[in-house]
Parts: sequence; structure tokens; C-alpha cells
Amino acid sequence: MDLSIMIPELLKALPLTLAITFTAMIAGLLLALIATTFRVRRIPVLSQLADLYVSYARSVPVVLQLFVAFYGLPLVVALFEVEDFVSPNVAAIVGLSLYHGGYLSEVLRPAYLAVERGQHDAADSLGYTFLQKILRVVGPQAVHIALPGYGNSIIYLIHNVALVMYIGAADVMATAHLVMERDYNQYQFETYLVLAVIYSLLCLVAWMVVRFFETRNAKFAPNTALAKATMMASV
Amino acid sequence: MFDSEVLLPDLWDILGAVPVTLAMALGIFVFSTIVGSLFAMVEYRRVPLLRELVVAYKVVFKGVPMVIVIFLAYYGLPPTLQFLTSLVGIDYNGHSTPNWITLIVALTACVAAFQAEVVKGALNSFDNGQADAAYSLGYKRSQVFRRVMLPQVIVAAIPDLANSIMVIMKALSLGFAIEVVDIFAQSQLTAALNFYYLEAFLIAVVIYMVIAYLVTYAADRMERALRVWA
Repeated sequence: MDLSIMIPELLKALPLTLAITFTAMIAGLLLALIATTFRVRRIPVLSQLADLYVSYARSVPVVLQLFVAFYGLPLVVALFEVEDFVSPNVAAIVGLSLYHGGYLSEVLRPAYLAVERGQHDAADSLGYTFLQKILRVVGPQAVHIALPGYGNSIIYLIHNVALVMYIGAADVMATAHLVMERDYNQYQFETYLVLAVIYSLLCLVAWMVVRFFETRNAKFAPNTALAKATMMASV
Repeated sequence: MFDSEVLLPDLWDILGAVPVTLAMALGIFVFSTIVGSLFAMVEYRRVPLLRELVVAYKVVFKGVPMVIVIFLAYYGLPPTLQFLTSLVGIDYNGHSTPNWITLIVALTACVAAFQAEVVKGALNSFDNGQADAAYSLGYKRSQVFRRVMLPQVIVAAIPDLANSIMVIMKALSLGFAIEVVDIFAQSQLTAALNFYYLEAFLIAVVIYMVIAYLVTYAADRMERALRVWA
């Protein structure tokens, strides 16, 4: 086994892993914002649908969600009579976005609710619209409360990107399998150790970025006790 | 494309894997809670040296995806076992270790890092004034722990423990990579027989959601019944 050959080869697949991560991050955030809005405003029907979506994203294993996306998307695409464009990468992005959105919604909602009632009342009494209230009063405080939980959810997203190889996306894990097979499966343990280091480093970087925003945004810290972000794995 | 006729036979097939999955999840839950509690006690009592080791352990197992830990255990555990047993003079073929044992060991190692956090949170929620009161009544350290602390700490941890049971259930789905058959793997096998993939996976989705609902419901009931509202 030659690390100086293997590592560059693995890193060549890193852009795809990162691309899936970032797309899922952005799409997931949008989905989470929409779902959370429906849920905190208790819009009938839509709020129940959002609840169902969140419990789907949180109680079904991510591998299964990926497979559902992989086999379900072509059906959805066929409904709209568009040409089938679903590749493993697209399915991975859609599946992980749905997962991340649902998980994140359950981070944002408690953060929104943790902002003191008085702040909502004050904004309402000043005639702020819902959007103004969110953007100017509740949002900045909720963001600060949500940051630790958001950091966790990003780390889980990175962990779960390792699963996209099962639906055939050629990410770092899949490349590692190719490398292992080329070496007649002699160095499997070592290769997985290298993978473990790569993923740990990715998580470390994500954690440091979130940490930076946490300290930078400290002025938005509400003076009430922060709701503890439960650190529990999500697969 | 979507055939509802296969749903019922598929459901029976996949339901067959539920007891095994639950049994494995329960096993991992018990082991990881024991290990996690030990870790949490080490941190709570501030045992020197051991504490640093626990922190390092947690960092490692939180940073590495569970799939990778499972694969590492799959390739690393049998030789390790064989080596360890050869040290004590037992002739054991490590490669005959069943895969489900490997999976249970790997997931226990992962989940213990998170359970430590859950137990630590519950321990920190304990009001130390109560311990002082108990000491003033002449309780021994072990008595305070068993009669005052433990009952409250367990109740405080119920929601998080229920959550971790669900996490373990979901993590078992990664076992299909090393040929352990749980609900997800069974749905894959069923689908492979009749090529109705989406149908089988949707049934698995429903089963997972129902189990999650039941677990949360049971935990809610249990917490409400046990908690002493101050």
C-alpha cells in the first residue's frame, strides 16, 4: 500500500462529495425554513404535512431515504412527463436534501420557540409583519440558539454523504472500494483508516467554521438560558 | 409502475425482520448505555487521566461516520480477537465470528460516545443540594447514588434514551453492508426477488415510522408516569 498514491486518488473524488454536501446543505436549509414556517405558524393541512415530512426525515434511516429517492424520483419525473434525468448523483442530492431539511427543521423550530415570548409580543405590538419580525427581532436571536444544533446537523450530513455510494454515486467511499479491489483487497483496514481520517478532517473544518460564527455572533445571545443541543447521532 | 398488489406479501416478508432488529437494537442499547454511563461517571467524578481518554474516545467516534466504523470492525475485529485469545492460550478462529456480533460491537462503540453525552446531561441536571441533604442525614456515598440520584437521573434521561433507541434502530440499517439482515436489508432482499423496489422500500419506511411513533409514545407515557413534578 502506498499512501502517496492512494491519498491523491481518494482526494480526486472529494469534489463530488463536497458538491453533494454543499447542495444538500443549501437545499436542506431552504426546505427546513419552509417546513419550520409551516409548523410554527400552524397553517392547517400544510403544517400536518410538514410534521409528516419531518418525522419521515428523522425516523427513517438515511440509506433507506437514499434508496427511496433513487427509485422514487423516476416515477415523480415521469408524472411531469419530463425526460428521465435522474442519475445516482441527482438522487443522492435530492435524498440528502430531504433528510437534511427534515433534521434541520427540528433544530430551527425549538430555536424559534426558545426566543422569549416577550420579544414576539414586543415586535407584534409595534406592528411588525411576520417577515419583519423574523428578520429583525426573532431571527438573529434564534440563529444564535440554533448554531450548535446546526453544527451537529452539518457534521451528520457529512457523515451521511459517505452512504451515497450505495446508490452508485462515485464519491470518496466508492473510490476507496475501487482502490482496495485493485490491491486485491489486501489493505482494507488501512484504507478505511485513511477514510476515517479524511472524514474526521472534513468534520473538524465544519465544526471550526460553525464555532467561529458562534463566537462572532455572541452579541445576539439572549440572556435566558440556552436550550441544550442534544448531541445524538443521526444515520 | 407502482404496483399495490405486492404490498401485502412484501409487508409480511419485511415484518419478519422486525423482531431480530428490535432484539439487536435492545442489545446495543443496553451495552452502549452501560459503557456510556461509565464514561459519564468518569467525567462527572473528574477522574484524572481516564477523563482525557474518554474525551479522546468521544472525539474519535463522533467524527468518523458509522459506516466506516462498521467496516473497520469488520476487517479489524476478527484478527484482534484471534490475537487476544491466542494470548490467553485459547485456539479461536477469529474469522468465524458471526457478522452480527461484529455489527453489535461496532455500533456499541459508536453509540457509547453519544450515550455518554446523554448520561452526562442527565447527571448535570441533578440538583446537588439534594446530595448535601442526604449526606447530612448520614447517607453513605453509595446510598446517595442509589436512592437519591439514580431515580431522578434515569427519569431525566428518558427522552434522550428513547431517541437513542431510534438512532440504534436506524444505525442497524448500515449492517446490510456486512450482510446482517435487519428491516432495511430484508426489504432489499424482498425487492430483489420480485423487482418491486420502491414498494418494498416504502413498506420499510412505514415500518420505521410506526416504530418511531411507538417508541416516542411509550417514552412520553413513561416519563409522565415516573416524573415527580416539583
